[in-house]
Amino acid sequence: MEDKMSFFDICGGRLALQRRYYSPSCREFCVSSPRLSLRLLTVVTCTVWLAAYGLFTLCENSMILSAAIFVTLLGLLGYLHFVKIDQETLLIIDSLGIQMTSSYASGKESTTFIEMGKVKDVIINEAIYMKVIYYLCILLKDPGEPDGISQVVPVFQMEIMKFRQIKNCLLSSCFAQFTGWAVGLVRDSFQEGPMRPEPRPF
Amino acid sequence: MAYRGGGGHGHPHSAALNVSPRSLPTCRTHTHSICMVSDFFYPNMGGVESHIYQLSQCLIERGHKVIIVTHAYGNRKGIRYLTNGLKVYYLPLKVMYNQSTATTLFHSLPLLRYIFVRERVTIIHSHSSFSAMAHDALFHAKTMGLQTVFTDHSLFGFADVSSVLTNKLLTVSLCDTNHIICVSYTSKENTVLRAALNPEIVSVIPNAVDPTDFTPDPFRRHDSIITIVVVSRLVYRKGTDLLSGIIPELCQKYPDLNFIIGGEGPKRIILEEVRERYQLHDRVRLLGALEHKDVRNVLVQGHIFLNTSLTEAFCMAIVEAASCGLQVVSTRVGGIPEVLPENLIILCEPSVKSLCEGLEKAISQLKSGTLPAPENVHNIVKTFYTWRNVAERTEKVYDRVAGEAVLPMDRRLDRLISHCGPVTGCIFALLAVFNFLFLMFLRWMTPDSFIDVAMDATGPKGAWTYPHPYGRKQGDNNEVSQVR
Repeated sequence: MEDKMSFFDICGGRLALQRRYYSPSCREFCVSSPRLSLRLLTVVTCTVWLAAYGLFTLCENSMILSAAIFVTLLGLLGYLHFVKIDQETLLIIDSLGIQMTSSYASGKESTTFIEMGKVKDVIINEAIYMKVIYYLCILLKDPGEPDGISQVVPVFQMEIMKFRQIKNCLLSSCFAQFTGWAVGLVRDSFQEGPMRPEPRPF
Repeated sequence: MAYRGGGGHGHPHSAALNVSPRSLPTCRTHTHSICMVSDFFYPNMGGVESHIYQLSQCLIERGHKVIIVTHAYGNRKGIRYLTNGLKVYYLPLKVMYNQSTATTLFHSLPLLRYIFVRERVTIIHSHSSFSAMAHDALFHAKTMGLQTVFTDHSLFGFADVSSVLTNKLLTVSLCDTNHIICVSYTSKENTVLRAALNPEIVSVIPNAVDPTDFTPDPFRRHDSIITIVVVSRLVYRKGTDLLSGIIPELCQKYPDLNFIIGGEGPKRIILEEVRERYQLHDRVRLLGALEHKDVRNVLVQGHIFLNTSLTEAFCMAIVEAASCGLQVVSTRVGGIPEVLPENLIILCEPSVKSLCEGLEKAISQLKSGTLPAPENVHNIVKTFYTWRNVAERTEKVYDRVAGEAVLPMDRRLDRLISHCGPVTGCIFALLAVFNFLFLMFLRWMTPDSFIDVAMDATGPKGAWTYPHPYGRKQGDNNEVSQVR
């Protein structure tokens, strides 16, 4: 069974979500963003080169032009290899664990696997990251103390989705077994106890 | 498996966009979505902080949606939820001086605009004139066309350079604000004069104390001796120098008189000198810094409360003391005369002689037994200042403000130029234009419709009130069932 949908992320870009249900206990979710757009590439290259030509006319040193070429090429390579993620896949096998794969535009792939036994909960958290965003993350159990959290692992690092999409398309279907969560309101584990307005040293 | 594609997805979102209080008159007629902005909030401690917290809690109780925006305090950054789903944004802005952020009037616009839009805020309520962030938020809110309310918590002078400058800034900041709240009539007078305001848009809503925290306990005090309690920061403004003159004079006159002094500050050294010089170690106890929860335990040990402040907008300490059943002796400065009725307070001039006379009067009343019983005093005082009452009155201000129109850009510029003097007015009118252009640019970069609507933690549809918010909210389940 397979379904596909597409929606806008919070920056107005288009995302495609593909869900495959292999068996009741095994499913795969795949979010892909559009490939590197020619327009963005042209705009960035043109700006860098125009700036370089501007400098060149001022100081008449041809080194600037070659430097501009290198900067554009290296920048593009670096962007494709380390920043631009084309596709992120989340494979969930209920009894085994969660595997997250991100494939970069250059073809590089990085895979993380989290054992189901280590997963404490899956929540939607809120963070200030240039703007205020919601993101899905997995809380890992702390082996030392039973109630503690050792690590927070974000799922789908590149694609910043809207709350409704995270909740309806991902959380409700892929992590259906974790129902005790609430966004940001994970009272017992994640939040510091409610503050009382008492202490006021003179 | 048919699922609504990208085109269809615009619909639920644009529907969500229109959920403003006015479009749902049946269920949200009188509820507002309020954003409190101040540089001062917990974990910082003080009067403004507790005011914001208590007011927000009472407004949530009355069914409004409240969020708080402040700057990051060390490790406390990001988004936190407090009791009853009160959401606090700790923004990563640089702190410049005395816990107040630096202001450029522009750098905070992207984040604040994002928060105002995603939370669907309708009223911006800024606190404290010392807070740069509060003024920034007012400035941006007016550019965005939101209603604005400002609460002033302090009194200022008019004479020295720093107050002249702050007063000018306040004039600019408040000249197009919808409504201003002051904590006492003296404070109102002061603010109206400083900011050259129309007094009709200034309301007086006093602070409150939690009367259940300040109950009398007559068995804790020794009736064989008379104890005078002083609880204040030991700084010049609080009149610690007067206190150091009073202590030796009264201690020589009354051998059965003791002092308990709570609080810390740079002037503590003077009190220690006095204690040393007159050998009063067993009669003058200096407790040092007190936590707010310990204040009551100190207050109930005394018979008389002494306040020697030289300036005060609204004195919380004397209300707390009166609530604990103490006879209050205070200086007649600022807003103090309006705080308590005359039979509960003895007012004196801010001089050693006058304060000593006032204290002697209180002592003679105490010895003759004409003072009212602490329990009676508490019962009278506890009806005076409650947070629920403050919230109710603040709500009236919000109702009034919500009906008013926000000044459009051209009239706002007119107001700035005509109201704030030719030079300052023109500068700030120019800045307001820049701010507007910046906002246009931001709206072009990320249109309002792309901004995610935040989940409502408080308010009538708040998630906090449900034990399991997930799965119960607003029929979102329909979409899930479609997919499966």
